[in-house]
Amino acid sequence: MSGVFLEGIVKRYGAVEVVHGIDLEIQPQEFVVLVGPSGCGKSTTLRMIAGLEEISDGELRIGERVMNRVAPKDRDVAMVFQNYALYPHLNVADNMAFGLRIRKTPKDEIAKTIEETAKILGLTEYLERRPADLSGGQRQRVAMGRAIVRHPAVFLFDEPLSNLDAKLRTQMRAEIKRLHKRLGVTSVYVTHDQVEAMTLADRIVVMADGNIEQIGTPMELFNNPANTFVAGFIGSPPMNQFEATLEDSDAGPIAHANGTMIQLHGQEALRGSAGRDVIVGIRPEHVMLSAEAGTAEIPISLDLIETLGSEALLHTHVGDVPFVAKVETHGEIGHLQGVSALHVKPERVKLFDKDSGRALGQVA
Amino acid sequence: MAIVDKESSAGIEKVVPKLTLSQRLDRIYLHLRREWQIYAMLAPLIIWFLMFNYRPMYGLQIAFKDYSVFLGIDGSPWVGFEHFQTLFQSDQFVRAFKNTIIISLLSLFIGFPMPIILALMFNEILNEAYKRTAQTIVYLPHFISSVIIAGIIITAFSPSAGIVNTVLGWFGVEPIYFLTKPEWFRPIFIGTGIWQEAGFQSIVFLAAIAGVNPSLYESAVVDGANRWQMMWKITIPCILPTIIIMLIIRIGNLLEVSFEMIILLYQPATYQTADVINTFIYRQGLIGGQYDVAAAAGLFNAVMAFCLVMSANAIAKRVSKTSLW
Repeated sequence: MSGVFLEGIVKRYGAVEVVHGIDLEIQPQEFVVLVGPSGCGKSTTLRMIAGLEEISDGELRIGERVMNRVAPKDRDVAMVFQNYALYPHLNVADNMAFGLRIRKTPKDEIAKTIEETAKILGLTEYLERRPADLSGGQRQRVAMGRAIVRHPAVFLFDEPLSNLDAKLRTQMRAEIKRLHKRLGVTSVYVTHDQVEAMTLADRIVVMADGNIEQIGTPMELFNNPANTFVAGFIGSPPMNQFEATLEDSDAGPIAHANGTMIQLHGQEALRGSAGRDVIVGIRPEHVMLSAEAGTAEIPISLDLIETLGSEALLHTHVGDVPFVAKVETHGEIGHLQGVSALHVKPERVKLFDKDSGRALGQVA
Repeated sequence: MAIVDKESSAGIEKVVPKLTLSQRLDRIYLHLRREWQIYAMLAPLIIWFLMFNYRPMYGLQIAFKDYSVFLGIDGSPWVGFEHFQTLFQSDQFVRAFKNTIIISLLSLFIGFPMPIILALMFNEILNEAYKRTAQTIVYLPHFISSVIIAGIIITAFSPSAGIVNTVLGWFGVEPIYFLTKPEWFRPIFIGTGIWQEAGFQSIVFLAAIAGVNPSLYESAVVDGANRWQMMWKITIPCILPTIIIMLIIRIGNLLEVSFEMIILLYQPATYQTADVINTFIYRQGLIGGQYDVAAAAGLFNAVMAFCLVMSANAIAKRVSKTSLW
């Protein structure tokens, strides 16, 4: 298996630069997810790795080989497309065999590979069907099968689950994860769905406006977002963010916002920064209903409760700023109706510079 | 009672309730009331069809009558299939029918693939400016009047000053009177048709090619296919439904050989290979005043075309699952 290495990769369309010199090292057998909003350059980056887009500047290596000028077919990559890209006139077996036939693989070898792959993907009984006669999930599996039969060094996935309904997406996500564990092929996966990114990735690359905002494991990104963009993008519901002003106290810096005083933890470097404007970030999952030793109290006004079953989302306001809390229901929501304050442990509070949006303190 | 519609792909069974006649009429009434604007917009076209395509069918009965302009259509006496018997016993009609079939089949086999080949070639041109220029050049002849096209052909093949004979003269070939030689009429006629229409007809196929999902090509590129392989394994199979539809339409018009061009290019010396049913009808009906015989020939032509299009549609449906209806 080969790693994929991007050094200063730039993509320009005429005078417009859409990817601004990104650096990324994907280790062999790693499952890396490129995630970001539409137009952030994630698909363009993937297509540059595949060879479907020319690289304007920088260097791309797969394994030890520089691939900038290598044709897609010689890069030893296989790609799964968003709309599956199945040939409508060919049946499942022929679709899967297409790449092998182009490469003049012996017939018996093709038949054997198709049979094995179909078994892995549960497609054996559909081999004679055409794509039009398959469900969305089956088509998606055929698209993956077509990539698998090639035994490539790298799998590239371009939003392969975005056309599926929510239930099927969850199911296919697990199948992709299982498949990656079984095959151990280096995989680069593009999605705009942060849940997909969190569940699938060994490491996530968050992109915005053609730049990499942060690279890290799902939990690193969740716990220590590098900036307000990542904090807002990773996590569902996103991290609550509101402006605050720093004040000094004997116990260390305090964030003061809308009449709420939050004692900060692990932010000793900010001692003496009284008056500095910051953004306070608190994850909805880190909010508690009752006080514990050392927790900060946040007075809120409750707008509505969204019940999710075992959990509920409290849509509230802290002053004028919307604030969402995710709390456990323990099977009933009556006790949530009168909530007038929430609590958070100081170590759960994240601080970001108001101007640059960068995290202050403990970012990994 | 319910009709069970099995959806094989997902194994879902849809239960469609069977409606009574009054329920169906109610549905149609409700539909018309809801969508009356659409039908109002459709009305002029339907009226046009009724006026100019269906009303003239009333006159078809003269094919079975001894038609006299003084007695009129209704007043002329019935003669049954007499005119058809006359036609089939006429050497001129049999010759015209044979020529129609030969010219039509040659046009079909040689002329029909040309727009497809042109469209595929245009699709392979990467330089946009060159592509647009080439397309404009091949579309242009379509917009030139048939009279002018015929003039160009007559001039080009002229034995005295025509470019063809001039070029042949460079190789020591004596001038050939192309347009007076029966053996040259069909190649010249079919070639002219291709030159005039192939470019314009390629637009339909270019549109079909533009509709092919680009991901199919990208996927093939990653799989290692070259442009030739992509053309054969992706483009052509993907535009096959369009090709079949166009073929059915073409077969429906098979016997409608370009009447104008033949009238403009043929002459008594080339009747042997150039006279077709339409020119025969023109001579019999308009020049010879035998409207009833001409109507019989026209009706025969129409019935043959109808049978052809029905057969082509049925075959296409069975072979490729693509059909007009």
